[in-house]
Amino acid sequence: MDIKILGGGCPKCKRLEAVTRGVVEELGIKATFTKVKQMSDIMAYDVITTPALVVNEKVLSFGRIPSHDEIRSWLKSL
Amino acid sequence: MSYILGLLQSGIGGLASYLAAHVLLCLLPAFFIAGALAALLPKEAITRYLGRDAPKWISYPASALGGFFLAVCSCTIMPLFASIYKKGAGLGPAITFLFVGPAVNILAISFTGVQIGLDIAVARIILSMVFGILIGLMMAWFFRKDDAEHAEEASKSQLFKEKASIPTHVIVFFLLLLGTLLAGTLQIGLFRNVFHDILIPGTWAGELQSWLDALIPPNPELGIEGVSAHGLFLIFFLVLIAFSAIKGFKSIFEGFNTWTYISLGLITLTLIVASFSVSTTSQGLVIGLNGRLVAEVFLLGAIWVIAARSFTIEQLQEWLWETWRFVEQIIPLLLVGVFLASIARALIPAVWIQTLAGRNTLWANLAGVIFGVFMYFPTLVEVPVAQTFLSLGMHRGPLLAYLLADPELSLQSILITNTVIGKKKTAVYVLLVAIFSTLSGLIFGWFVK
Repeated sequence: MDIKILGGGCPKCKRLEAVTRGVVEELGIKATFTKVKQMSDIMAYDVITTPALVVNEKVLSFGRIPSHDEIRSWLKSL
Repeated sequence: MSYILGLLQSGIGGLASYLAAHVLLCLLPAFFIAGALAALLPKEAITRYLGRDAPKWISYPASALGGFFLAVCSCTIMPLFASIYKKGAGLGPAITFLFVGPAVNILAISFTGVQIGLDIAVARIILSMVFGILIGLMMAWFFRKDDAEHAEEASKSQLFKEKASIPTHVIVFFLLLLGTLLAGTLQIGLFRNVFHDILIPGTWAGELQSWLDALIPPNPELGIEGVSAHGLFLIFFLVLIAFSAIKGFKSIFEGFNTWTYISLGLITLTLIVASFSVSTTSQGLVIGLNGRLVAEVFLLGAIWVIAARSFTIEQLQEWLWETWRFVEQIIPLLLVGVFLASIARALIPAVWIQTLAGRNTLWANLAGVIFGVFMYFPTLVEVPVAQTFLSLGMHRGPLLAYLLADPELSLQSILITNTVIGKKKTAVYVLLVAIFSTLSGLIFGWFVK
């Protein structure tokens, strides 16, 4: 699974990454994490604000930090 | 040696009077409001008006207001600016948003209002909105060809079509928080007039006050207020809050712990204690009950009730986390800034500032703007710096010009803007901002003494 965290490195992005990593660990998924920090690269995705969670090139959320349970249900169904 | 000691005294004096007088009733609620805006407001409630299909008379004002509601966090400003430009309403509204955002966020406005004056705070809101829209319209007109190219791509995007409304309890919550801020800071008779005095007898109060006056001598000429016995007590409370908040807020996502409740309790108590009017006399300490106290007790009580009843634990956690994040990001730099600005007040000869910007002239306003561009101060530090200038004799017109230009046009923000819209547009934007900030200061300067 290819997981990308979009955002310039603000505390919210770190928090989003931490929550997502927690879920990945819990489900035992093999995943690679990439941080996308450049504004031009971020704008290539369909997001308005950061932090954004992108899994396999699909935007799952942006502008907020989804809860642990939310992320788990998304990752499970993939 | 005594010179350096004098400077340090000036720095500490500034810091202490700042902590006692300004942080509490103004910044404490303002941080909680900023946290609530970031955590509890559905962004789609605003962004739905910023899409490509939105008519101009909606998208421009919405961008200006969006600055207030969405721009509290640097996480939001640049991505939102870039996406309004590329996928939303286009260059004009994006520029309006970029311009208005840093000038009208709740922290900057309330802090400016309390420390420098309500006139400058209100002027900062109104002028930045009006000129933000004007600059946006001009940019859109200058670069109308480029903008048309984006339009086709953008109209396919579903991004800005998402709708959301703000639930009633969230609106009430915001109003209560805003009420706490206003009740704590507005200097009107309703809040100030004391209806009952309580005397705590004893000569200790007078002795304490004269000791404080010797330690940090008030110097109205330099704008140093000194510290009262009340202020000392509040600073002590602030230190307690700082310690308990580090333990209670930092790991808020793991749940509310005892420290969280202790620090929330302390914050509530401190806000209430801060609203008393306290004075020292030869008989003892006189504590005056006033309208401010009644209003704060009522508002804070209502906030606790609504927080407990209408919000989920997750929402409250996010609110407190966002609030803490702002505090952690801004307060340490702000304290250093206040300390250094207070030292600078004793260092810089007033004659310099008075010659350069003592009167409301075109050059004085331009000087304010140029200083704002080349000096980069962290968020909110522009306010104590401005206060230093004010006490050294700067005219309020050039002061406003400086306050508008400083957060808008730092070299850092110019560079980031450049990566989004390119060199040519950035150059025109910077030029327009410089011109309009100068004009704002000049116009405002005509209306005040």
